[in-house]
Amino acid sequence: MSFIKSSGRFANSLLIGITWIPVALAFNENVCYIAKIQGSSMMPTLNPSKTEPTDWVLLWKWGMKNVNNIKHNDVVLIKAPSNPRKVFCKRVKGKEFDSVQTRYPYPREIAHIPRSHIWVEGDNAFHSIDSNNFGPVSTGLVLGKAIAVIWPPSRWNTDLNTSLGREDIRVNGFGF
Amino acid sequence: MRSGLSGWLKTGSFALRSFCLVHVIHNHFYEFTGTRGESMLPTLAATNDYVHALKLYRDGRGLTIGDCIVAAKPTDPYQRVCKRITGMPGDIILVDPSACVSNSPSSMDNRAGQNGEESLEAEPFNSFIKVPPGHVWVTGDNLAQSLDSRTYNSLPMGLIKGKIVAANNFNQPLWKNGRFLGFRKIENSYVDEVAR
Repeated sequence: MSFIKSSGRFANSLLIGITWIPVALAFNENVCYIAKIQGSSMMPTLNPSKTEPTDWVLLWKWGMKNVNNIKHNDVVLIKAPSNPRKVFCKRVKGKEFDSVQTRYPYPREIAHIPRSHIWVEGDNAFHSIDSNNFGPVSTGLVLGKAIAVIWPPSRWNTDLNTSLGREDIRVNGFGF
Repeated sequence: MRSGLSGWLKTGSFALRSFCLVHVIHNHFYEFTGTRGESMLPTLAATNDYVHALKLYRDGRGLTIGDCIVAAKPTDPYQRVCKRITGMPGDIILVDPSACVSNSPSSMDNRAGQNGEESLEAEPFNSFIKVPPGHVWVTGDNLAQSLDSRTYNSLPMGLIKGKIVAANNFNQPLWKNGRFLGFRKIENSYVDEVAR
């Protein structure tokens, strides 16, 4: 008898647990998420060495599709424009209505960034597929902003805000 | 009897869980939502049309040319647009043959002034774009009243939220000709001229 009673209680709490799954999913989708960084395009800020385990970052998602909440030099994760199932981690180098100085693969020397678009580049400028290849990206593709490295513990105090890539590439006063 | 704080907490947690469940279903599986605007006439009415969108097709999964989609607008991701896919990755698109007629009244004067010389406004007739990988070309069904790929270039598949499969018209009576609220399927309108 007591067995039935306790198993009933177990089933009940299991059911209640299941009803909280959508809450966790919605939270991970819209507020906060932990993401693994792959590849070397953000070296040496993220994944500084190939021998250590890869970095995991805390990703802030709330409101990050609004270009006003994205700041210059933020580290953002975006859906790759060339393949929506791939994720790129890049640094914001320019925002809407800025003009930026581009690098080699880009066909023009100065790029003007349209409304709600950002210009992203990797810190490891020469091993990075970035806006110089695919142009400005819509903020609709932004998944979130990396605010801290949370794993491995040896890298807890990593500073994500200092750009190690190219300097400020915004240009103004070209008559635009 | 529920009372006081614990009652409020129970109600609040129930509301939170239901809200999140609906949100997850809307994002990943299915959404029924209203549309506005002339850009999809005559497929969708400008007002009071409600569409059934399947979210399993988000990020362009399994979509083909001719499908009707809902996507985030590249120049304002909080707005959503409803368009039809008219070009897949790798396709070569004639951008807008009508641009020189509708958008630039000065083109006629220019062409009259420059004898023999091709003016820039005649370009729309031979300006082509190859749709890059991971992108699609989208246009509204009402080309004259639609802001689409002709303006903001090809659309990254990552912005696609879902595929529109059916619509209801809330101006119709509840039941007429065996249809509930003007229910109709929205089908792939692509006709392959070459295969014919």
